[in-house]
Amino acid sequence: MKKISFYILSITLFSFTSCSLFELDNYPAPGETLQGEVVDAETGELVPTDQGSEGIRVRLTEVSWGDNATHNPDFFCMPDGTFQNTKLFKGKYNIRIDGPFIPLLREDDRGVPLADETQTVDIHGVTKVRFEVQPFLKVEWVEAPEVINGKIVAKVRVTRAVSEEDFQAKIEPMGGYSASFLNVTDIQLFVSYSSSVGYRARDERWSNKIEYSGTAFNSLLGETITIESNGTIPAGRAVFIRAAARINYDTPKGSGTRRWNYNEATQVLIPGN
Amino acid sequence: MKRIYILLLIGLFYFTGCANLDIAPPNVVGDETLMKSESGMKVYMARMYSRMPFEDFKYMAQWGMEYNSWLGAMGIEGTGEALNRDGICAAFTSERTPYWTDAFVLLHDANYLIETLPKYQSSFPEITYNHYIGEAYFVRATVFYAMARRFGGVPLVTKVIHYPSNDAEVPRASEEDTWNQVLADFDKAASLLQPTSPERGFSNKYVALSFKSEAMLYAGSVAKYNETVTGRLTGFGQKTGVRVIGFSEETAQAASRKYFKEAYLAAREVIQSGLYSLYKKKWAAGDVDAQYQNMIDMFSDLTSPENIYVREYTYPTYTHGYDAYSAPYIFKAPLASGTCPTLDFVELFDGFDRYPDGTIKVTTGSSNTTGEYLMYDSPLDFFKDAEPRLRAYVIFPGDVFKAKNIEIRAGVFTGTTPVSPLFSDYSYATAETRYQSLPAYTTTASKTLFLSPREGNGQEIVSYNSNNITAAGANGPFYDNGEGCLTGLYGRKWLNPDPSFAAGEGKSAQPFVLMRYAEVLLNAAEAGVELALAGEASPDGSDLLQTATTAVNDIRERAGATLLTGSITNDEAGRNIVRKERRKELALEHKTKWDLRRWRVQHYEQRDGFWGEVRDKEIFSNNARYRFRGLYPFLSTQTGKYFFDARFQWVSLKTFEYNIVDYYFAIPGGEVTKSAVIDQQPNR
Repeated sequence: MKKISFYILSITLFSFTSCSLFELDNYPAPGETLQGEVVDAETGELVPTDQGSEGIRVRLTEVSWGDNATHNPDFFCMPDGTFQNTKLFKGKYNIRIDGPFIPLLREDDRGVPLADETQTVDIHGVTKVRFEVQPFLKVEWVEAPEVINGKIVAKVRVTRAVSEEDFQAKIEPMGGYSASFLNVTDIQLFVSYSSSVGYRARDERWSNKIEYSGTAFNSLLGETITIESNGTIPAGRAVFIRAAARINYDTPKGSGTRRWNYNEATQVLIPGN
Repeated sequence: MKRIYILLLIGLFYFTGCANLDIAPPNVVGDETLMKSESGMKVYMARMYSRMPFEDFKYMAQWGMEYNSWLGAMGIEGTGEALNRDGICAAFTSERTPYWTDAFVLLHDANYLIETLPKYQSSFPEITYNHYIGEAYFVRATVFYAMARRFGGVPLVTKVIHYPSNDAEVPRASEEDTWNQVLADFDKAASLLQPTSPERGFSNKYVALSFKSEAMLYAGSVAKYNETVTGRLTGFGQKTGVRVIGFSEETAQAASRKYFKEAYLAAREVIQSGLYSLYKKKWAAGDVDAQYQNMIDMFSDLTSPENIYVREYTYPTYTHGYDAYSAPYIFKAPLASGTCPTLDFVELFDGFDRYPDGTIKVTTGSSNTTGEYLMYDSPLDFFKDAEPRLRAYVIFPGDVFKAKNIEIRAGVFTGTTPVSPLFSDYSYATAETRYQSLPAYTTTASKTLFLSPREGNGQEIVSYNSNNITAAGANGPFYDNGEGCLTGLYGRKWLNPDPSFAAGEGKSAQPFVLMRYAEVLLNAAEAGVELALAGEASPDGSDLLQTATTAVNDIRERAGATLLTGSITNDEAGRNIVRKERRKELALEHKTKWDLRRWRVQHYEQRDGFWGEVRDKEIFSNNARYRFRGLYPFLSTQTGKYFFDARFQWVSLKTFEYNIVDYYFAIPGGEVTKSAVIDQQPNR
């Protein structure tokens, strides 16, 4: 009796199989690599950013399969302005980046393309791309930050990396232009224990900001601005700081996300008493 | 050989049969059964209404339309009304189950009724027939409205799609066309529906008009306040080139005026009908206890003249579990403390001493870092002048609920009095420095502060008046257990106040008021002020600002709040009076999150307007993130009195984050990927 049920069971089991049971599922894992860098078209320097959804966003769309392609999940540049994805399928991709610079893909307010500086490349092996962009602002340290009573005092300088005329010439045709787009709205000082300090990795206890309304900042362009951290940072450990500034213009258009231009992170030791 | 013939013969028999199999299956109910009688139509209506996108006890903002009451809580989606310990307490930036697939199922039901019922028109008297068609339009309007406020422009499926078909796929319409469809469907419904519901739970003309005024207020606000957002929140679909979110610069202003006008007229028509009034059965002028009791009763009284549309529950067949999740800790069954109102919310109400910056006064100084704590004989004394409406919405420490004293105590202070503020800094940056890290608590030699990490054996014991008392109250707060009270306050609204009621999952049967007269008054008021602000003349000759003033004063009078001294003015201050009143009156009803969304005041740049009135956003936010505060009562053993500390949420810290892209939810990714016409939001 036992034997019969065993046979029935095994026959039933076999009836659910197909020939691919004996094949190895050997579709190769995605293994192509894309490496990119985002540089200032004028100076050739990398454009520093924050690794998070307020940083430089990289959007890949595989176009080999027709028009109705949905883009891959977005990823973001590393803080130094480079990006890398090592798990891509082979194929032809459109690469679009959005960040604190003149948009690469510019359309007018009815969706008619004006300019398209995105890149479409075949990705196989290790493919390298380089985007030359016009950042809105350039943020620099003026001198090494000081620490006074557990507060960091940093001196930064903010200049325009794209001229006002150039900005207007490229943004105005996109529709809805306003001179207020060029206003610098705020300067941030991000403080964190992590070396990947930025908006996403800031410590809210110590990070600080200065906000400017209207065109108030225009006279401060190129000047040295002093910004202090908040609260008291405990002594005896090193923290990392970065400064950032942004203008009143969101990228991509309509997202409302105004992205910051950063300077490079620097390490500060908070001396013990 | 012979056997083969026999087998063949047997085999042949298998292929025979005499019955005609082409008959309608008798176990499937068809149109003839359903659409020829009123009892059949009741079945059809029941199916539609059971899947309406109503937000009541069986809706959780983080999860979307999942039609169950698990973890039921109110106002916890980053609106500042209340807090909750779980992951469901996060800003309203998406829904786990997007309102998409269910919407099209319900649209099909509505469209099918509109297209098929005319065949059976002769089965019903004209007025009944019209009512049914009106119900279908009401359902359709409600679905389009629910989708529009989530996604902007949506596919306007206004006819039954027969599969397979070439035009089975409908692309998203522009946001403006979507709101126009909502408007048209509500209008059509209002013109066909009977003035009173023929059955409990059915819609009627005034239900449609009331929801229309709410929807049009949303549309008008979006058209107007998108302009205040960086990037104007508009864009074109990639596949269709249709403006799927936002309005064009040319049409925005005209559209906003049109929608506000519609909102105003619809609300006015409900008011003018005279069929509804504010609930005042127990209300008595000058009697705060009567006013308080009146506002408790109004949410469970099914005969309330204020109810316009109610979802009713019946034990044991159709129930929810709100009391099982959101009651105070001592009534835990099986969970508790789901809805803990914030101090920031309490600050919207009258009846408290305040510092010059408008925050509630807890010390003798000019801010909560200066002076010494004010002492109270009992915690409830702090609230003795509080607006009766607030007491009906919120359980204060030491108040009574279900015939039990609700003991809420953050800790016991044994040091000398007067007591200086426990912290030197109460700012946002130090929100995570909590009582348990204070030296008064951690140093054993000079310990003056006693707190409890948990209930029961987790309680610290303090000897007081030769008795042993627990550091935390019976309801907490316990600093390591988010199931106690989180903020020092509990929600009272919607809880069953009957002492004999034993709460449990699926044991609650209180009704949920989805639309009440107070909201209609506030809709009229807000639309009126917005029209006045836009310089529009009154669409029906009534005085816009007078309508607003009367509405606010009527609601305040019933609430026991201070009445306006003059008329509401034609400026932002006037508009904010209406907004703040709305935030107070309709709190903990799933409404505020939509108000904040349409006012576009949740992202950092505009967050000064978050509370309906103007409050400095820096006090409670840091860039995209923000937090809320609690009010924590402490017992001072040296005096036997209580003092209160106002600080950021102490237990189960919650930080909310809201960005501009969140004003429109993403279209479900799968729908975009599989379709050639459905567009993702252009700003995502």
